[in-house]
Amino acid sequence: MDESRRDRFEAVAPTLIEPLRRFLARRTDAATAEDVLAETLLVCWRRVADLPDEPLPWAYGVARNCLRNAERSARRQERAAARLAAEPVDTGPPEDLTLHEALAALNPDDAELLRLWAWEQLAPGEVATVLDITTNAASIRLHRAREKLREQMRKIQAASGHEVP
Amino acid sequence: MNDDELQARLRAADPASSLPPADPDRVARLLEDVMSTELTTEKREDGTQGRGPLTWLVAAAAVVVLLVGGIIGIKAATGDNASPTSAKPEPAQTVTTLSAPDDGATHAKCMVPNAQTLAQMPTAFDGTVSVIDGDTVTLTTTKWYAGEPTDVVKVTAPGEEWERLLSAVHFEAGQRYLVSATDEGAVTVCGFSAAYSDDLSAVYAEAFPG
Repeated sequence: MDESRRDRFEAVAPTLIEPLRRFLARRTDAATAEDVLAETLLVCWRRVADLPDEPLPWAYGVARNCLRNAERSARRQERAAARLAAEPVDTGPPEDLTLHEALAALNPDDAELLRLWAWEQLAPGEVATVLDITTNAASIRLHRAREKLREQMRKIQAASGHEVP
Repeated sequence: MNDDELQARLRAADPASSLPPADPDRVARLLEDVMSTELTTEKREDGTQGRGPLTWLVAAAAVVVLLVGGIIGIKAATGDNASPTSAKPEPAQTVTTLSAPDDGATHAKCMVPNAQTLAQMPTAFDGTVSVIDGDTVTLTTTKWYAGEPTDVVKVTAPGEEWERLLSAVHFEAGQRYLVSATDEGAVTVCGFSAAYSDDLSAVYAEAFPG
């Protein structure tokens, strides 16, 4: 069993690492991303028998939970403050300010749906796996989230006096 | 803007687009660490009792979480979930609203109250319970160790959390307490918030000198 577990993990894990690194880099600071990556892989290793044929969305779901746990605890530690001070996540003002603001104005669930869709480029079925909801719900929520994002962008542009396209 | 255009615009703002690939050596080491973690434990019945280096690391992190969890209460009661109360708020008073310990906090292991941990709490005060009404404890403050001083602090807790609050901190009307709360407005438990005693007072004084 040891060997087959190992074989399976060795076959799968390298394909997960880069996407997971990007997933985490989009959502947290570098130090936390590294911790959470290790933790996520550990969960994948422990639960190698549960890995679905398409392991990535499942692994994103694991990473998402690990990240939430890490952030919950980090918020309570001065370490987090020190980290943020030493290593700003922000790499300068985003070029697309309207989009940035609009995304920030959405509720976190909607924003996360949009990230999964656009950044991780997941199909609704895969989004559903990450968020542990049905594909149907993912499709509907994604559709609504896109509408809300467009609406927010329109509002922001209108407020800044630009012509609304 | 159609869906494709929206997606393209989002993708152009992808913060990970400039992320360089991981160093292959580090990746290999990481995977080896991960796999060695449980190989040492598979002799055990319970595979979660790992003793590899990474497990220790993760375990250490978990202990930190546990310890921190142990002194944490519940999130700050914001306007919309602050329960209505008949505690007769006096308009001229300034009020700080806090909340009660949650399930995880009260069931986590506790550490002994110490100044080092306490010093991290952004809210800490000395006060006397004036009213316990419905699911709100109102304290009149006499001294602020940390945080924006207000005349009154209200600790609210809906439903079950109320029971946990009372059993964790033993609030009683007329009694004097030392209370601290996290940056989430959660009252600390595990003895960090408790009836006034000289010992606890000394811990507060040490944690918040001056």
